[in-house]
Amino acid sequence: MPLTSSDQLSFDPLSQAFAADPYPTYAALRERAHPYYYEDVDTWMLTKMADVENVALDKTMLRGNDDVLTAAERKAQQRKMNWHDMPHHERFVQFNLLESEGDVHDRLRKLVFREFTPGMILKQRGAIQAFVDKLLAELVGQNEIDFVEDFASHIPGHIIGRMLGVPDEDCPQLRVWSENVVRFFNVGCDDNDKRIAEQATEDFYLYLLDLLKLRETAPHDDLLSRMLAQKQDGLMTEDELIATSMLILMAGHGSTIDVLGSGMHSLLKFPDQRIKLRDDPSLIKTAVQEMFRYEAPLPYFHRFATQDCTVGGQYFTAGTRFGLLYGAANRDPARFDAPDTFDVTRSPNRHVAFGGGTHFCLGNHLARLDMDVIFTTLNERFTDVQLVDARPEYKSGLSVRGPKSLQIAWKEV
Amino acid sequence: MTKVTFIENNGNRIEAIAEVGQSLMQVAVNSGVSGISAECGGACACGTCHCYVVGNGLVTLPTPDGDEADMIEFVIDPKANSRLSCQIAITPDLDGLIVHIPASQT
Ligand code: HEM
Ligand code: FES
Repeated sequence: MPLTSSDQLSFDPLSQAFAADPYPTYAALRERAHPYYYEDVDTWMLTKMADVENVALDKTMLRGNDDVLTAAERKAQQRKMNWHDMPHHERFVQFNLLESEGDVHDRLRKLVFREFTPGMILKQRGAIQAFVDKLLAELVGQNEIDFVEDFASHIPGHIIGRMLGVPDEDCPQLRVWSENVVRFFNVGCDDNDKRIAEQATEDFYLYLLDLLKLRETAPHDDLLSRMLAQKQDGLMTEDELIATSMLILMAGHGSTIDVLGSGMHSLLKFPDQRIKLRDDPSLIKTAVQEMFRYEAPLPYFHRFATQDCTVGGQYFTAGTRFGLLYGAANRDPARFDAPDTFDVTRSPNRHVAFGGGTHFCLGNHLARLDMDVIFTTLNERFTDVQLVDARPEYKSGLSVRGPKSLQIAWKEV
Repeated sequence: MTKVTFIENNGNRIEAIAEVGQSLMQVAVNSGVSGISAECGGACACGTCHCYVVGNGLVTLPTPDGDEADMIEFVIDPKANSRLSCQIAITPDLDGLIVHIPASQT
């Protein structure tokens, strides 16, 4: 691809500097007249809100490039990405509703959509509160904790597990499986990661099969039982049921931990905002919305063009791969006043942390409810919260954003 | 020129001039109707652009297609006059359209 002379920009998303603060890089990308070509992954990076929204909403832009590849090219691509030789991973992780399009996607999404509507999600409120209270009871004697490891990391596995119908005592195992399955997507993944990811997928699969057998004889009020009934009615296959269960866990696990950590960090970096929220707890909804905008925990997804197109004022051919930098679009001054300011009262706040278009995040109401319950509870119970380490280290790479750990000191009211 | 009126749950009226070809959702967002958050951007994938169409508009509008009807089943408090504003294209004969914003979307 020809590069223009203005491509002097140093774009190194694996660097320490990018992990510490990607926003100056995003701003430099956004200020360019045209999209930036990132050679390492053969992808055109979109950072302006208008471009990101247009591509996310464009039905000719797909997550997979199957339409533009032959079967042989597809195999070669799988090999190049080292996505082959892992039968369970191929069957349940590389295929799911997020990775499908058109009728298959719409059918699978509609089958579980009801479970994620606000009314259904609200039923989890009591369970989330109870679990958070229990965690806090264990931590309350400690003046200093790692907010990520000691607190946030226990929550999503437990809540998503409950929704699925996994017994409480098995939920800690979900965290291990989920983290191992996604190891394969890590920057610098090696053969060992690949083996661990495949093993975790198989273990999780066998576990779900056992649980489904129990539900067959005695259905519960849970997602697994309802999907099982759909399978029995011929609406989804067993593989689709397993893949959907795994996706729900994978999509909602790390992202929730990361945004709990970054949300807490934002409140501590902007103490005036923390006090505002503490003095007026009714601001929780706009505050949570702002936490997602300010540090989008899943800042990067991609789409393939299936037709020749013009994006960001430039012409591209079918097969072009675009990067949707949701985290960069969320700081676009064309959409947001003072985009680098964290403002718990910001409204309207039309960000894209949950994506847009047909793949718009299914779990957004659950993620928001977790945040709502947790930050409301913390604000009620802890007045004095301080950062122990002024510059907590963030995860590196383009695809995730969240602190590796967040040491805080706190005192109960 | 198509005039559209949004009535928010607190009784507040917002009048807007809509351009032919825009979606009703875009008109609402551009006019600052806060109850229409339109999170998926208009892909019939979220239900947060739900509204109630009253008066003549109901007769003038084509009925919801399959995807829109499916999504309406999932919104809070669906009614016979429920619509997803992102699926309504503005046409000249919608002039005078009146739209209520649901109580759950404030
Ligand atoms: C905590 C923060 C979360 C963020 C920031 C987030 C973000 C996203 C984004 C950006 C997408 C769209 C991907 C794309 O554009 O290609 C997505 C899709 C999805 N998310 Fe989330 N998510 C979160 C939590 C959750 C939770 C808790 C669940 C479920 C329990 C979940 C389930 C899903 C599913 C199933 C999809 C695929 C939807 C489809 O393809 O139609 N997410 N998420
Ligand atoms: S904007 Fe999402 S359904 Fe209309």
